[in-house]
Amino acid sequence: MGASGPDGSLQSMLMNRSLSDPALQAASAQAPDYPILPDVNVLKVGGQSLMDRGRAAIYPIVEELAEAKRTHQMLIGTGAGTRARHAYALAMDLGLPTGVLTDVGSAVSGQNAQMLGYLMARHGVPVVGDAGLGVVALKVAESGAAIFAGMPPYDMWQHVPAEGVIPPYRTDAGCFLVAEVYGARQMIYVKDEDGLYTANPKTDESATLIPEITVDELIERDLADLVIERPVLELMRNARHIKSVQVINGLRPGLITRALAGEHVGTIITAA
Amino acid sequence: MTPDPSFVTKDVASVFARQTLLDRDLVRQPERPVVRLLPWLNVVTLGGRSIIDRGSETIKPIIDVLRAVMPMHRLLILTGPGVRARHVLGVGLDLGLPTGVLAAMMSTEAEQNGRMIAALLAEDGVSYLSHTTVAHQLAVHLAASRAAVSNGFPPYGVYEFPPADGKIPPHRTDSGAFLLADAYGAAKTIYVKDVEGVYTRDPALEGGDPPELLARVSVAELAERGIETLPIDPIVLELMPTAKRVKEIQIISGLDPGNITKALAGEHVGTIIHA
Repeated sequence: MGASGPDGSLQSMLMNRSLSDPALQAASAQAPDYPILPDVNVLKVGGQSLMDRGRAAIYPIVEELAEAKRTHQMLIGTGAGTRARHAYALAMDLGLPTGVLTDVGSAVSGQNAQMLGYLMARHGVPVVGDAGLGVVALKVAESGAAIFAGMPPYDMWQHVPAEGVIPPYRTDAGCFLVAEVYGARQMIYVKDEDGLYTANPKTDESATLIPEITVDELIERDLADLVIERPVLELMRNARHIKSVQVINGLRPGLITRALAGEHVGTIITAA
Repeated sequence: MTPDPSFVTKDVASVFARQTLLDRDLVRQPERPVVRLLPWLNVVTLGGRSIIDRGSETIKPIIDVLRAVMPMHRLLILTGPGVRARHVLGVGLDLGLPTGVLAAMMSTEAEQNGRMIAALLAEDGVSYLSHTTVAHQLAVHLAASRAAVSNGFPPYGVYEFPPADGKIPPHRTDSGAFLLADAYGAAKTIYVKDVEGVYTRDPALEGGDPPELLARVSVAELAERGIETLPIDPIVLELMPTAKRVKEIQIISGLDPGNITKALAGEHVGTIIHA
């Protein structure tokens, strides 16, 4: 690659302009997109919604994932859950900054990854230390699936929320970004509800299921509560590979398999 | 709506238990002041293209100044990547690699610049610290030494956000330094560049009114002015309003390294941008 190209080319702009220059950013949009792991499905197994329920919820999911990996390559991220919530509350009470809370949340999602890893070990599914490529491709190719902790490694560099100190980018965002960077086949959030509702179905009986919705509609509706971290919506808008995600109920046997096959069995949120 | 009532969650009691952490009313707790973890910390960021790429003529005097101020001020020196990051960005874009991979590649160059700066200060007890060490053991390193050097890029790597337009990683040195400084509650956040500060218009552009240096300017005012190119990544201006402890940043010219001494002593040189 030459140090520069003709004036106005991407290469010459890269050398001469600020990386924040809108013309340079627009020119970079013309670059091709090479999907790194296009056959891999990224799934997120919820922390509070599933892991914290223990074996009643997790054993059937382990069996379903073990069967599914025969036909589908999977990267399985884990959420954090109730211990993270306790630690967030404690850390907040102590006046600690968002960066410290991020670290604490990471540890909990790491525990869940390890526990899920022990349960899936007999099926040859490894836990990968971090989702930076490393051995991920080999592990997925060899065993059909690998498990990772869903929290993004933002640590002391986590964005600070407008209100309070709870890390805004947690495991939903981390798993989404893994799917996006690898150009994965799809992103499936496995939770304990049938999908996205008009309100939190656990606390509001009038809540109704929304089978399909766009990010724009979702932002416009400005729901007070949401089944997925809000910043994921913004990430989806800007994503180049992952244009839709599906939220499904992992407590209903068979839905993971059907979602992997491309069926619409929960709520599909699309970017456009 | 749960299919089987036998699913019992094993909760740890807390104010956030059994909620999504996404309900605006539930997460709105009485706002507690966030403590400054390292209230004596000064975060000094050396620009990659603006300072380090200029070579020894620019860097050596800055090293001398940093060495001289260390007895008075505890420093975390962060470095940007410069022109090599532009090159690897060009190669990576051409190969069709995603933003997250580009971010990881660029970050390596910022790290290499940091290692070179640390080497020049090694005899004064200064070492290069990895991201992990900076996040978890900065306190002990700055108790053992008056200064440490690290990578200005945040450790986002493959978890970098896809930008709104194009593929260039949005979180780079300036925002990495800012987020870290705020998390630690740093006393001062200083950006060392090759311009005196922020001007009313880009001094590098020809024609128009002569540019004037803005001594003190708010984020809102800067946004209103719509200056074409700023000496700092605009994303920092988006991060500043929500920051908990770092409410202002200072941009100074390292071409006159005495500015670093003055800024650390609390003198108003260059431009101060406040939230």
